[in-house]
Amino acid sequence: MRKLYIVLILFFAVGVAGAQQSSGKFTISGYIKDASNGEALIGATVYVTETQTGGITNEYGFYSITLPAANYNLNYSYLGYQAVAKNIGLDKNTRIDIELTPEAAQLQEVVVQAEAEQANVQNMEMSTNKLEIKTIQKIPAFLGEVDIIKSLQLLPGVSTVGEGASGFNVRGGSVGQNLILLDEAPVYNSSHLLGFFSVFNPDAVKDVKLYKGGIPARYGGRLSSLLDVRMKEGNSKKTEVTGGIGTIFSRIAVEAPIVKDKSSFIIAARRSYIDILARPFVKLLQDGGALNFYDITLKANYNINQQNRIYLSGYFGRDNFKFDKNQGFSWGNSTGTLRWNHIFNDRLFSNFTGVFSNYDYSLQFGRDERDSFKWNSVISNYMFKPSFTYFINGNNELNFGAESIYYVFEPANAVGVSNGLPTDVSISKKYNLENALYLSNSQKITKSFSIDYGLRFSMFHYFGPDSTYTYKTVKLGERKEVAERRYNQSGDVIASYNNLEPRISFKIQTSDNTSIKGSYNRMVQYLHLISNTTASNPLDVWNPSTNNVKPQISDQYTLGYFRDIGKDKKYELSVEAYYRKNQNQVDYINGADLLLNRYLEGDLLSGEGRAYGIEGYLQKKVGRLTGWVSYTLARTEMKVDGINRGEWYPTRFNQTHNFKVAGFYEINKRWSFSADFVYVSGTPATFPTSRAVVQGVVLPYNANDSRGNVNLPDYHRLDISFRLEGKKEKRGGVRKNSDYWVFGIYNVYARQNPFSIYFSQTDQRVPAGQPISSQATQLAIIGTLVPSVSYNFKF
Amino acid sequence: MYLVNRTYMSLQHVRSSFIGLILGGIALAGCETTINPELQNAEPILVVDAWINNKPGNQQIVLTKTQNYFDSSTPPAVSGAVVTVTDNNGTVFTFNEDANAPGKYVWKPVANETFGTIGNTYQLSIQAEGQTYKATSKMNNTTVVDSIILKKNEPTQINPDFYRAQFYAKDLVGFGDTYWIRAYKNGVLLNKPSDINVAYDAGFSGGGAFSSRVEKKPNGQDTTILLDFIPPIRGRINPNDTDANDNAVSPYIPGDSVYVEIHAITPEAFTYLQQVSIQTNRPGGFSELFARPIANVPTNIENVDPKGKSAIGFFNVGAVSGKGQKLQVKN
Repeated sequence: MRKLYIVLILFFAVGVAGAQQSSGKFTISGYIKDASNGEALIGATVYVTETQTGGITNEYGFYSITLPAANYNLNYSYLGYQAVAKNIGLDKNTRIDIELTPEAAQLQEVVVQAEAEQANVQNMEMSTNKLEIKTIQKIPAFLGEVDIIKSLQLLPGVSTVGEGASGFNVRGGSVGQNLILLDEAPVYNSSHLLGFFSVFNPDAVKDVKLYKGGIPARYGGRLSSLLDVRMKEGNSKKTEVTGGIGTIFSRIAVEAPIVKDKSSFIIAARRSYIDILARPFVKLLQDGGALNFYDITLKANYNINQQNRIYLSGYFGRDNFKFDKNQGFSWGNSTGTLRWNHIFNDRLFSNFTGVFSNYDYSLQFGRDERDSFKWNSVISNYMFKPSFTYFINGNNELNFGAESIYYVFEPANAVGVSNGLPTDVSISKKYNLENALYLSNSQKITKSFSIDYGLRFSMFHYFGPDSTYTYKTVKLGERKEVAERRYNQSGDVIASYNNLEPRISFKIQTSDNTSIKGSYNRMVQYLHLISNTTASNPLDVWNPSTNNVKPQISDQYTLGYFRDIGKDKKYELSVEAYYRKNQNQVDYINGADLLLNRYLEGDLLSGEGRAYGIEGYLQKKVGRLTGWVSYTLARTEMKVDGINRGEWYPTRFNQTHNFKVAGFYEINKRWSFSADFVYVSGTPATFPTSRAVVQGVVLPYNANDSRGNVNLPDYHRLDISFRLEGKKEKRGGVRKNSDYWVFGIYNVYARQNPFSIYFSQTDQRVPAGQPISSQATQLAIIGTLVPSVSYNFKF
Repeated sequence: MYLVNRTYMSLQHVRSSFIGLILGGIALAGCETTINPELQNAEPILVVDAWINNKPGNQQIVLTKTQNYFDSSTPPAVSGAVVTVTDNNGTVFTFNEDANAPGKYVWKPVANETFGTIGNTYQLSIQAEGQTYKATSKMNNTTVVDSIILKKNEPTQINPDFYRAQFYAKDLVGFGDTYWIRAYKNGVLLNKPSDINVAYDAGFSGGGAFSSRVEKKPNGQDTTILLDFIPPIRGRINPNDTDANDNAVSPYIPGDSVYVEIHAITPEAFTYLQQVSIQTNRPGGFSELFARPIANVPTNIENVDPKGKSAIGFFNVGAVSGKGQKLQVKN
């Protein structure tokens, strides 16, 4: 490891030395935007014809290229937009802001990786997938509700434990090992309705990027992936209203300039409406019951001047389930992000982000005050993140910055009243601070060889006041006994950890249309999602690293082959192999009590994990028929003392084969057709071998004490949808408004895909002494085809 | 999670209908098929069913063997074993096999004698099929049922015509008292997996704080707080049954009789029963989203030879109390 750091430092020295050679050179920089609405274009390309080099815009649409003084032809492009050519006589630092116009007779081009053609091969990045909202909107969706998280599940390396389960699994990582950022604010629960829908309003989302590996040094905090969701900035040219009515949600979004071309906002809201329709017929709803979920997304930005721009974004979402006036539960995320883009000079771009984010849930039971139970749980975090990009020269791009997050965990504020006597069963708050510093350089060593190397140094502290316990193992795999209790004063440092996280990736361009890329990544995760159920649920708690729970560490190695195929390079192919080794993974004793348990850590087990696989991805980005084919061959395992006899066992989301196809076809100007097909191996399940009858109850028993000893039957499903564009003309003139209908069928051939197989004794009462029968039941969450229709408009 | 599971269970019907409602009347409410997957073969092992209490009358220990999970016949009996229970004073209680019921070993009291003394520790010894097994249990004290009441569901709830019973009982003072509550409806023990009702002090778990306790008042005086079992435990004496059309039926109707027993169990037995409940109470449907992996429930039966054949099941000795009532509606 030490050698690695020395090599990294050497590289930095070379990179920075390179910066000194830039005299006699000048910089072209600026923003690239969409001419129709002023939205910054992320990942747009600037190509310098003479040098055959270029630059790509960052998350804010900013680019910077440094070149020797000369005359240059620049080409600004972005897939689905008309390219713009510029000629410039470069003799001083020059600011060029460009607006690109969407292609006119746009046959609804599907843009998956909306980067310059060939970005697949020429870009440094690997193990990333970018989905444009335009693409996500075309994917046939469950109940017609466009869903960002479910769309990701069509990508290679991404899987799920089943329908209705919240979140997603990336390269064998658990749901809690994904960092989900909405405009840089962490989102702790990405689901509405226990997992059937995700919390992001597609009307407010611009762009979604999933990093499965090669994660840049500026990000950290989760082991397996980063989902970077960027919200729209709002139309800075004209007022626009979009909306729709679907099966579940009705949605509306308004975006408009505040000051034309200088400042704009967007506000988007969605709400489920079935409860409103059902109210006249359902007594429960009239009597104070509630059943709804909604979210509101807003963002505003202000372009102060050429050097400064600020963005303010917020999200508020909630699910409410009330059984009557006094009973029920509710949960939701809220986030707020304030960002300031400041351009120090043509080559130094900076962004300062301040975030507040909060996740909470609450439960309430009991019909009167004498017998009641009230409980809420909150995670709050406050984050500050300055980040800088220094475009040293054509060959080096330096990224550095810091991140500081202060967490307050409130696992349970709870009071139970039993027959008039209250008992406080709260679990004390936990205070934590996570800090990180990072530095990375993207360096072009030769024309065909580039590397990106960086280091992240992360620190985590757990502060008092809090009572902590130490535990001793009585029997492996069973509840640990409290050995010692200790009270820590306010400000005491109870536990602290720090880690160096190297991030390295390289690219070898073997020909104009082929490249080989590789990466090594260490990720550290200080927060742990505590969940031992098949699907994670809204009440799952997050537990910070403590004196008993160590931070999770993952080392991932990837190697990939990238190729553009065809005369016009219409097809992109990538094949990537990955291997990941995880330390300090959390598992649970049998019968663990995860909620309202101050001895929770006595119920946790720690072990190691490994995941490896190979992913293939073939994509067609242009033409009337677009889409992709994805295949993943993978294995994900854990090894924990006390589970499965201490041997490796497959995790619940292990899938050997994972095959997916998505296709989009433009039939004519008004009709288009989309389909997706998924075929995945069944996930592991644990079957008993035998049964035992004790006190008249049939117990399942596995003589080998195994976990995941069988696989469920394979899962496959076909979804289709048709989209009908509204008429573009009206009474001879061009219609101002536009609208479209989407008709979809989910699970077209009505397969009853197994979610689980469970074993139980007969539900009938059996007279004492009579034999009791037992059976296995296969459950399909969605056992039929689900048609849907939605109407969407824009004016 | 146990708490939430149980809360989920008690709200199961409400919740399913909610999700059914939201998913728009489309028949999505899960789709279940009984299947017959092939299971790995396993050699049968000894199953010990030894729950001893101080109720007047005979006490019994049943020895059987495991069978294939889908074998729905009466489990094979283990005959010819030598079964004894010895207390920490050396007193031996012998359990003799019932000539008419193979595998059933019975201790017969002399006159009005009841089994055991509260506070003593008991060791079970079984010699069967060439192996010797042992288990120990402390005999703990139990609490008494104060009252049992019957109430009609409030009209706001689903099934307003249903009657539900609740019992009231106070946890013993101090932390770490564990109980198994068993109810009889019209003389029949409620014994489905969904009927398993265990309490750790007055609540669900040792990591919680629901317990009768001695607290210091602001004036410095000690005061004893006697806490009733929390409502979900009090209400879990209601049979959860369906009629021929799979509709839920009222747990009780006025005139039914109910008898509630509170058995003292060891904390290990609490863990055992809690896990039996998790592993066997599988209502299916959406609750499967939040199911936990199948795992073997723990046992306190050990082979004296660690290399010998293992056994499963449980041995517990505890005091028991009970109270019965003919149910009349109370407002």
